[in-house]
Amino acid sequence: MFLATRELKHSKWRFAMIGMILVLISWLVFILAGLGNGLSTLSAATFKNMDAEYVAYEEGSRHSMSRSVISENLVEDLKASGDVNDAAAMGSHVAVVLKEGVEDDSEKIDVSILGVEPGSFLEPAVVAGKPLTQGDNYQVTVNSSLKDKGIEIGDTLEIEGFNETLEIIGFVEGETFNHLPSIFIDLEHWRAIHFAAPGSDMGVEAPVNAIMLQGDGIEQDKLANALDGIEVATKKEAINGIPGYKEENGTIMMMLGFLLVISAFVIGVFFYVLTLQKANQFGVMKAIGASNGFLAKAIISQITLLAIISIGIGIILTYGTAAILPAGMPFALDSTLVFSYAIILLVVSVLSSLVSVRRITKIDPLQAIGRVE
Amino acid sequence: MSGIQFKNVTKYYQDGAGTKLTVLDNVSLTVQPGELVAVIGPSGSGKSTFLSIAGALLQASSGEVIINNTNLTQLSSKQVSKLRLDEIGFIVQTSNLVPYLNVLDQLLVVKKMKGKITAADKAFAKDLLKGVGLEGKLKKYPEHLSGGERQRTAIARAFMNNPDIILADEPTASLDSKRAFEVVELIADFVKTRNKAAIMVTHDERMFSYCDRVYHINDGKLKLVEK
Repeated sequence: MFLATRELKHSKWRFAMIGMILVLISWLVFILAGLGNGLSTLSAATFKNMDAEYVAYEEGSRHSMSRSVISENLVEDLKASGDVNDAAAMGSHVAVVLKEGVEDDSEKIDVSILGVEPGSFLEPAVVAGKPLTQGDNYQVTVNSSLKDKGIEIGDTLEIEGFNETLEIIGFVEGETFNHLPSIFIDLEHWRAIHFAAPGSDMGVEAPVNAIMLQGDGIEQDKLANALDGIEVATKKEAINGIPGYKEENGTIMMMLGFLLVISAFVIGVFFYVLTLQKANQFGVMKAIGASNGFLAKAIISQITLLAIISIGIGIILTYGTAAILPAGMPFALDSTLVFSYAIILLVVSVLSSLVSVRRITKIDPLQAIGRVE
Repeated sequence: MSGIQFKNVTKYYQDGAGTKLTVLDNVSLTVQPGELVAVIGPSGSGKSTFLSIAGALLQASSGEVIINNTNLTQLSSKQVSKLRLDEIGFIVQTSNLVPYLNVLDQLLVVKKMKGKITAADKAFAKDLLKGVGLEGKLKKYPEHLSGGERQRTAIARAFMNNPDIILADEPTASLDSKRAFEVVELIADFVKTRNKAAIMVTHDERMFSYCDRVYHINDGKLKLVEK
């Protein structure tokens, strides 16, 4: 630290410049991470939130809700098989709704209507209002983000291309699916909406899109073979099967990966060049008795200090950015995410310094003797 | 015995064709504590090699170098680095100060290499700097010092660990003669009062009056010069 802090202070501008690069990179890393997190939440929150480990789809649907139609009767069969503790059916339907009484078409809202069995483990707890019941009415609980569109409990929603209206009886929180806010309804009424066109149920009795399974260590193949016409995916596979999820996530992860590699190289090269430049100086210090460890510590603590300060500024800037981003933006920062990327950036920076450390160990103290500059 | 001893030290390099290039040829020399010895020679005569071997920066090909009763040939590189820190004070050339350390820190960094800096170390460093007349420039950086002041800082640094051996590499290079005299006088004075064994490599014949003995080195052979 002795050398590290003094050199940082003495060559402020030199280090401020490299620090600035690190600030910008970390800022971008945090924003991308927040964006990735926000997007994946938007895309799959309802799947992520559900308390299930496996999902049964129609055979050949390749883990996609929209491609899969199976019978709800399978729930009983699945429950009966050994490893499954509980099972519940789910259906999804993308729709456009409009608050009843509003004439302006620009107020239309895209939503995911999700059919669940009231009282099953798939029904999310309401934060306001009442949970779903089995009944004759089209009663729904909706994601609280619809409040921003001026929707309240007791309101009714018209569904485009469907005669019945939905009555809002409760709000749930953090539930989105397919990038759209989720609306939960009991399965029977979901079926009426989703299979409104005659024959669209393809003759399946009590059709649903998928059945979520609770139970640890279910043998997927065995279960799929035991019952006709289904395939079984893990929750993770199911999330990856949501249209666009893998692609979005993959793109952002690739950018993050590149950024980390770039930051490693930028910092590594900067300090390596600096080390080359200071080779004579290090030689002199070795001649007067400095060990490799002493010099290595100086450079590692220098990078660590610089990285901590820069990443810290990056975090502050990120939260500043988050504060001014529009509310509708799929941007979700959580502190664990920020913290883990901060640690990754720090580790990458410190690792990149090892090139310089290696160089230092090779500097010969002989350089100090017999030369005039 | 303390001090520095060379016993039949030879250093040679082998080039690609297998020809031996002898840089130091059977050099023997003893410097006692309290003695300042000058080694002069034209460039390429082997005086830098001589100083590097004395300073444990380079291994002799044959013969023995004994510093304070420690035979250098038997030490590992880690031990050698420790010995340099503890026993040897290097006075390097003017430009070889650490550019981002102020005058006081130039000295304290030597202590830092060993571990913690104590208040006593600070006092000792200030005392040394007072001895070289830099008490008013403790917070100055090398870029703000004159050549003479830089060299005096280097001298003070060499004494910081209270080593028994002082090695000076062209301490008067790039100084005008007035400053050069001051600097060598200072080295001689420190060596006498603190009882160190000192070797100074120089090409500056004006400085010989300060030295106890002067050796001439040519083609790797060391010869005593009659004053």
